[in-house]
Amino acid sequence: MADWQIDLIKVVFIWVWALLIAVVMTWVERRASAMMQDRLGPNRAGPFGLFQPLADGIKLFTKEDIIPEKARKILFVLGPPLFALPAFSAYAVVPFGDKIVLGGKEIILQVSDVNIGFLYVLALGAIGVYGMVIGGWASNSKYSILGGLRATAQLISYEVPMGLALLTIVLLYGTFSLREMVLLQQGTFLGFLPNWGIFKQPLGFIIFLVAAYAEANRVPFDLPECESELVTGYHTEYGSMRLGLYLFGEYVNLGTLAAITVSLFFGGWALPYVDMSKFLGPVAYGIASFTVFFLKQAFFLFLFVWVRWTVPRFRYDQLMGLGWKALIPLGLVNLFVTALLVQLTI
Amino acid sequence: MPRRPVVKKEYTLGERVYLVEITKGLGLTWKHFVFNIKASFRKGPHTVPTCWQYPEDRREIAPIFRGAHMLMLNEKGQELCVGCGMCAKACPAKCITVKRGKRQEGEEDKYAGKTYCSTFEIDMLRCIFCGNCESACPKGALVLGPGYELAEYDMESCIYNKERLLANYNEAKAEGKLKPPQKPVPVDAPPAPKKKPAAKKGAGASAQKAKAPPKAEGKKGEDDAAKGKTEEKPAE
Amino acid sequence: MAKEIETVCVTTGPAEVGDYVALNIGPIHPAMHGTLRVITRTDGETIISAEPEIGYLHRGVEKLGENLTYRQFLPLTDRLNYCSAICNNVAYELAVEKALGIEVPEKAQLLRIIMMELARIADHQVLVGILGVDLGALTPFFYLIIQREEIYEIFEWHHGARLTNSMGTIGGVEAELPDRFHEKWPKMRDSIRKANDETDRLLTHNRIWMDRTIGVNAFCADDALNWGFTGPMLRACGVKRDLRKDEPYLMYDKFDFEVPTGKHGDVFDRYMIRMLEMEESIKIIDQAYAMYQDMPDDAPLMKKVPKIIKPPEGQIYHAIESPNGELGFFIKSDGTDKPYRIKIRPPCYMVYQAFGELVQGEMISDLIACLSSINVIAGELDR
Repeated sequence: MADWQIDLIKVVFIWVWALLIAVVMTWVERRASAMMQDRLGPNRAGPFGLFQPLADGIKLFTKEDIIPEKARKILFVLGPPLFALPAFSAYAVVPFGDKIVLGGKEIILQVSDVNIGFLYVLALGAIGVYGMVIGGWASNSKYSILGGLRATAQLISYEVPMGLALLTIVLLYGTFSLREMVLLQQGTFLGFLPNWGIFKQPLGFIIFLVAAYAEANRVPFDLPECESELVTGYHTEYGSMRLGLYLFGEYVNLGTLAAITVSLFFGGWALPYVDMSKFLGPVAYGIASFTVFFLKQAFFLFLFVWVRWTVPRFRYDQLMGLGWKALIPLGLVNLFVTALLVQLTI
Repeated sequence: MPRRPVVKKEYTLGERVYLVEITKGLGLTWKHFVFNIKASFRKGPHTVPTCWQYPEDRREIAPIFRGAHMLMLNEKGQELCVGCGMCAKACPAKCITVKRGKRQEGEEDKYAGKTYCSTFEIDMLRCIFCGNCESACPKGALVLGPGYELAEYDMESCIYNKERLLANYNEAKAEGKLKPPQKPVPVDAPPAPKKKPAAKKGAGASAQKAKAPPKAEGKKGEDDAAKGKTEEKPAE
Repeated sequence: MAKEIETVCVTTGPAEVGDYVALNIGPIHPAMHGTLRVITRTDGETIISAEPEIGYLHRGVEKLGENLTYRQFLPLTDRLNYCSAICNNVAYELAVEKALGIEVPEKAQLLRIIMMELARIADHQVLVGILGVDLGALTPFFYLIIQREEIYEIFEWHHGARLTNSMGTIGGVEAELPDRFHEKWPKMRDSIRKANDETDRLLTHNRIWMDRTIGVNAFCADDALNWGFTGPMLRACGVKRDLRKDEPYLMYDKFDFEVPTGKHGDVFDRYMIRMLEMEESIKIIDQAYAMYQDMPDDAPLMKKVPKIIKPPEGQIYHAIESPNGELGFFIKSDGTDKPYRIKIRPPCYMVYQAFGELVQGEMISDLIACLSSINVIAGELDR
């Protein structure tokens, strides 16, 4: 196989994987929340209601596509894909496994190992907000624009602590490439802990996680949507598959954020204490590393769901307060201390 | 601007850092999650204890549930309704139309009374299921039954005619969902100023219309108000 | 009336309604309970002025009452505050009984108290649950609503309906406590407490919740009195006023229960008062149930009332402490079988008229929290 063919396969694989995660997540969200709330959730379509996302998709596709009369039409149409696409694209730099040997060729399980993968993720996260703002603004509805404005303010505010938390990681590993970061997390730390980012950067991890929730617009930071206040916020006026894209993009986003969290703080595809490559064949190792990565990612995806159904929502000013008055100072202090330690130890 | 009391926020340290309480909350939802996951592996349709899988799995309806009306028959299969129209008068939504017909020769096994209702229509679109008609009925002929699936495709079908009401009765009887005979409610009646003739006609299900049998009246004066008297509802 | 005003009140700046954005919240909006509408002027997220508009659920209940007999009006009272229909029923029954000059037997009174307190618990559960939903926490709502379902089951087994109860008649109650109650109450009491406890653990000490509720829409006690607040809203402001204690009706003076009061009248106090009142209601039910069981089986449940009720000419007013506050029925009788005039004093009307003042200067999110916490029921408000 030529390189471009391998790349194509990887791209398709990642695409399908991201889609599948998003599809299954809509199901998990509904069933898990039901279980947490002593309900049953959708269980009619297919076994355990697994086809419910499909049914929802068909419903959304067949619905009438309404564009409000007073909407800015081009921007209105542009909004949803602008939101969903960056979320998909971020998957490109996610190292979803170590490597696999197929047909005598060693294939890295990552679409592209860009040496600034890390900045790429941050940049795409920032682009995603345009989808919301443009959608909210183009709808020409007060609720939508409030949602869009909230989204802007929130995402800008939380990019900063997220960036700070990630900077400490960069300081620690001395690289921007996600793949190298994962490779640097092998082995043990202080003799008994896995050499994971979370143990070296617990504060950074918490800041990153909180910021990730805010980036993904999840409860307690779901202010741009904010069902009970802004109807559904920036996508109030959307219907049919345009709405579907927004909802879908959100779950793809969750998948990306979970994958990044795993790569940065939880050792990526590697199992703690065990080196799988020693006793597994090259093909099996590739599959196993992907499985380990996926399981870790699944845990964080579940955590997103779990937290969502436990806590209430912030208020706009409190959200800003948390971001600017708590997370950013904490992030700065953390950065400073880490820089000091790195400087002293090297 | 309105005046506002000055509120001081006094948080403990545990409350101040969000994570402690959130973790506790996560533990609580996790407990529910695990419990329900375990429960959902149980056999049968009623898995999660609080959910009913509606069409297959139904709640138990109280025997005195106020659902769709039915026109009652007695044990001999005679219609009890005499077409007096008390129900129509008692109805706050004015949804009952009753027309009285005279029983003809040869119809004795069909109707219990000398008169019967030639038409009996209940407009279910207006009905508010208050049960006033049931307590107003002197014969216990109109009863709010167990039926609760009342959706129809057109408005005409929502006007229940006599056949429909009788069919409701037959259905409820076949399913064994008829109301059990009600225990008469003890009424604290003041000592009757004048002797009333003994109640010959049956009193309705509601006890304020149940007339005191004469034997109770003698004792009534002796008993104090708190103790009161049980009244027997005259049997049909 | 015990007035316990301890809080310091300050005025915060003059109000100005300039060229601010008009945001129309409702009548169709996920957080509007029923069909309410608030026209707000907002400066960003801050509310400069809010003007509640009512009448979207006006059904003319009072006018209908003039054309219905006293018995026929009873089912219509279900449709006022449908979260606790029994309280409305009993309030109306008590008003008519007062006009007739009768007092129902003790057993019926106890039964009414038990049912009313169950309805109060159900109402407060809905309120606390909805408050959680509106502030983004959906889970407590389900824990509470499942318990409400149990309460509704008891209602169903007692008088045949779950929501629009039409319990009892004028002169008493038609049925004894159902077997379901005897079987279920000890277990139910615990499960209600457990659900409340879980809600408490999920919300009360969670800082997000505290930030969202403490100090939000705080209201001064004397303002609240001037506006005519009653019930939990007034108690949240620190005024110990409960008709069950202050002007006892039925047999409430024989029970031992506390009247919880708040301090600032903010959303948190309103929430806490409701949580505490549920506990008090459980206490009342326990006491009433014990007294009920001591009653002989054949103790009367009804007072003999004429079939056609014709109260003597005159006018009466009777109010009870409904879950929302003072629910009063004013009846003017002209001696016929239909009331000349029925006037309902719904508790949330008085609160809702102060809504503009309650939310002024707060944020849009607080408006939603405020609306949930004052428990405006459109059926009761618009009548």
